[in-house]
Amino acid sequence: MRHPLRAIALACALAATPACASVQVADTRIENPIVAARTLDQRAYAALHAYAAVIEEATDIVRDPAAPVGFKRALGQAERVATPAAETLQIAVAAYVRARADFEAASGETQPTLERAATALTIAARRLNEALAAAEAPIAELEDLVRARRG
Amino acid sequence: MLNWIMQLQLLLTALSAFLPLAPSQYRERIAEVLEIAAKALAAGGAVAANVDDLALKLAAIRAEVEAMAASGRAVTSDELDAAMSRVRTASGAFREALAASGV
Repeated sequence: MRHPLRAIALACALAATPACASVQVADTRIENPIVAARTLDQRAYAALHAYAAVIEEATDIVRDPAAPVGFKRALGQAERVATPAAETLQIAVAAYVRARADFEAASGETQPTLERAATALTIAARRLNEALAAAEAPIAELEDLVRARRG
Repeated sequence: MLNWIMQLQLLLTALSAFLPLAPSQYRERIAEVLEIAAKALAAGGAVAANVDDLALKLAAIRAEVEAMAASGRAVTSDELDAAMSRVRTASGAFREALAASGV
């Protein structure tokens, strides 16, 4: 053997490789809080908080001097579309919560009052559903950009 | 991601330990390559740590929503206001950072 030390070194490196590969440092799985919600208001609450967390990460990317200007611009455009959608969602969920409280308060009232409250709650629920659906794509776009940069 | 970077860093460290055994005419070049790779991995590690940060935040929100769903508790107006306030604060900081970066 011409280079026994090199052969031993290579053997050691190869032997260490599986040990390196088995290291578990942390679980980087990204959670989706919205799927845990069971009601409309819980979905909206989860969506707003999750969106805030995504913007916080996007802010860190924008503050990174190494991040490309074009990418920062894309984040800015995505945020300008997503935040108004989140604001619309907040207005819709607030209206839904009010309508639900009115409906619960009307349970002991006359039939016409109860029917009016039920109609208002149905409309508020439909609008909240629409706001959730409308916010989904712009929020997902910003989230995808953040993950693309981070992942 | 963090696992992958950690594994590569460990492998690089293991390889660096055997650098003195490399042929002398290639040793400097190999050291340069290993150094560049180490720097790239260190930057990647910082990025991966931020991914973990986002994952942790989302996991915390999910845990809270799961608890709400399990107890059948409705979200209060105050909780919704707090969530929207967090969005507004984050959005403000984002736009400020964007303006500061000249974009």
